[in-house]
Amino acid sequence: MLSRVAANLYWLSRYVERSDGILRMLKIHYASSQDSLQPFSWAPVMKIYSGLEEDLLRAIEYNSREVLLYMFSGKDNQNSIVNIITLARENARSVQDHIPKDLWQCLNEYYHLVKDQRLIHSLKRDDPTSVLDELIRQVMLYYGIAEITMVRGEGRSFMNIGKYLERSIQSADILDIKPENNQNNPDLLSGTSYLKYLLLSLGAYDLYFKTYRRGFDIENVVDLVVLNNDFPRSVLYSVNNIYRYFERLKANKNILDFKELSFIIGRLQSMIQYSTVESITQQGLHPYLAQIKKELYSIGNTLNAQYFAYS
Amino acid sequence: MNELNFLSKYLPEPSTWDEMFNSDCKIRSPYQKIINYLSSESLEELNKKEELARKLFMTQGITFTVYNSGEGIEKIFPFDIIPRIITAQDWELIEKGIKQRLKALNIFLKDIYSNMFIVKDGVIPIEMITSCPHFLREMYQVKVPHDIYVHIAGIDLIRDYDGSFYVLEDNLRTPSGVSYMLENREITKRLFPDLLPQCQVRSVTQYPEILYRNLLAISPRQISNPTIVLLSPGIYNSAYFEHTTLARLMGVELVEGRDLLVENHKVYMKTTNGRQQVDVIYRRVDDEYLDPLTFNPQSILGVAGIMSAYRKGNVAIVNAVGNGVADDKAIYTYVPQMIKYYLNEEPLLKNVPTYQLGDTEQKEYVFSNISKMVIKKTNGSGGYGMLMGHTADQKEIEDYKSEIEKDPRQYIAQPTISLSAAPCFLDSQLHPRRIDLRPFALCGPDGIEIVPGGLTRVALKEGSLIVNSSQGGGSKDTWVLAS
Repeated sequence: MLSRVAANLYWLSRYVERSDGILRMLKIHYASSQDSLQPFSWAPVMKIYSGLEEDLLRAIEYNSREVLLYMFSGKDNQNSIVNIITLARENARSVQDHIPKDLWQCLNEYYHLVKDQRLIHSLKRDDPTSVLDELIRQVMLYYGIAEITMVRGEGRSFMNIGKYLERSIQSADILDIKPENNQNNPDLLSGTSYLKYLLLSLGAYDLYFKTYRRGFDIENVVDLVVLNNDFPRSVLYSVNNIYRYFERLKANKNILDFKELSFIIGRLQSMIQYSTVESITQQGLHPYLAQIKKELYSIGNTLNAQYFAYS
Repeated sequence: MNELNFLSKYLPEPSTWDEMFNSDCKIRSPYQKIINYLSSESLEELNKKEELARKLFMTQGITFTVYNSGEGIEKIFPFDIIPRIITAQDWELIEKGIKQRLKALNIFLKDIYSNMFIVKDGVIPIEMITSCPHFLREMYQVKVPHDIYVHIAGIDLIRDYDGSFYVLEDNLRTPSGVSYMLENREITKRLFPDLLPQCQVRSVTQYPEILYRNLLAISPRQISNPTIVLLSPGIYNSAYFEHTTLARLMGVELVEGRDLLVENHKVYMKTTNGRQQVDVIYRRVDDEYLDPLTFNPQSILGVAGIMSAYRKGNVAIVNAVGNGVADDKAIYTYVPQMIKYYLNEEPLLKNVPTYQLGDTEQKEYVFSNISKMVIKKTNGSGGYGMLMGHTADQKEIEDYKSEIEKDPRQYIAQPTISLSAAPCFLDSQLHPRRIDLRPFALCGPDGIEIVPGGLTRVALKEGSLIVNSSQGGGSKDTWVLAS
């Protein structure tokens, strides 16, 4: 497979996964804002996904509609849904002969959907949740089509590495949000309600209650979002999958490059596997997540240097 | 049902060959079935079909992007739902005529890049060759596989007022549009279910297989599984959709210049498993940009050193480099002589009479009859840089004349040929619009094959004679009937 094609598939997949994460998070936070008696701040969310400067961010942080518009279609927001789906489609366009026609058409439709002015209008005036749902459905369609049509070959391995790398970075990022909303809402259990929305935006709410049967507490959330082997958005699950799909790329020709990256992924995998909630608490959640992210970035950079480089 | 009001505004243009109506304003028999079909549908249905066609193009991404203030806007090439029909009899002439012409042009290229017999025998003056910017000295004495220079040709044909076919241009470099021939047919199948077999329309879907077989056959390395690639300038090229379609239909790798490298006079592509040698390159990059070491040093679309690999015979390039000398508009004038000289045959397809402005006498004649002339650049394409004498105003003509005086060899003039008209479905009515025809011919070691069909381009503006897509032209599906 051409190095450029591998890179296009990998980035295509990262962008789609990123859009999925952003959309789910926007949906849940919007719902949360409707529960809030006090002005609801979007600042923590915007800090993860946009490089907006502090004063601009402060200017709109309490205006849900403005934030939604900025996150959806902000031209200067690198991670706006419109921008990343445009990039996803450009990547897909240049590898049309390597992905099934159905998958290309689905992405192309997704692109035409996000470009539809109707959505902007609805985000301004109507129910934003319907818009977000419509977009999320398009991503689900994409994953369904990818699942049933993609050849189980090298291309899919690169796509899945991209998908799980993006997902693990997102899960780590979301868990790293520092709540700013000191909600004094007497109807909600103060201090923990942000954990509820955190779990909801990761789709982990049901599983959390089935597993722990207690109120929200940060230790259990960390256990689920970082250490759980079976939860599809946990960091460990994602890293296990990066390893799994990377293993499939093993070929005799590039055995040295392969070993180097295999080593980095394996090291990260072990580091998470041999962590416990206690050891994480002891080390501090933030430094622990920072270390995981550093390792994830280095996987991305090594892939780039050894598999995608054009020279 | 709605036949009357549907056809009521259809006014065939004077002194123009109308594809649907004969001179007595009767529908020609090949068009009868489709008109019956259309008449049995309500106008609403027809408008729906038009909308369906637009949607199909859009979702399949058969679009090109226009960049405006940093934002990309997706456009589709306009498509008219009414097919253009060619009878079996007309097709037989077209097929024979194009084969004859390509055979001669291919020999011409071989001759001009080796012995130059045609010059030595005084058929074509040497100045005509050397003054052509597409004549490449780099190609002199280069041996190309099976002596085939023109692997893919898209020869443009038009019909004059009496219905006879003329060759307007020989496109022998990187002719485009074949994906539209294929996609238009797929869409017509959806628009008019069951109508194609009823009308006995010949299939065009075999094009990619024939091309693939020809590409395999010219691989310099005689191995079981040669590597064939399609070299594209990238996603910003307006024909990018075509490149991906062809790559997908043939199952060959779609590459860009940056994916290839040359080492030791061999071409390789950069893969995730190291390098892989490339045997055949179907390139959609112009000669000029192909190799920065040999041609335009600014080019980033090509591959440094690819010409050295080509000259060594380590890689086959399709179409051959330097073909521009044969489809130059000044050389075009000599094609009938070429056919006589190389094949000792009379040309089956006529040339449009052409005046060389490099010749002072002919230039004087053209200038004094400028209102009846179309003046073109010899190496121009896409409908740019043309002067349409019958519509231009005095100032345009004066400006153009002074441009010509700078280098008359770079211009030719042709009397305005009216182009035939075919019905188009516009604003819920049928209107006549001018059309041309580009059939696609494929040359391989086993001879020349022409897929029965082609791209019919249509000038959608009323009265316009320019069919190029860059100038507001659209396209139609092209039906060649079996009987």
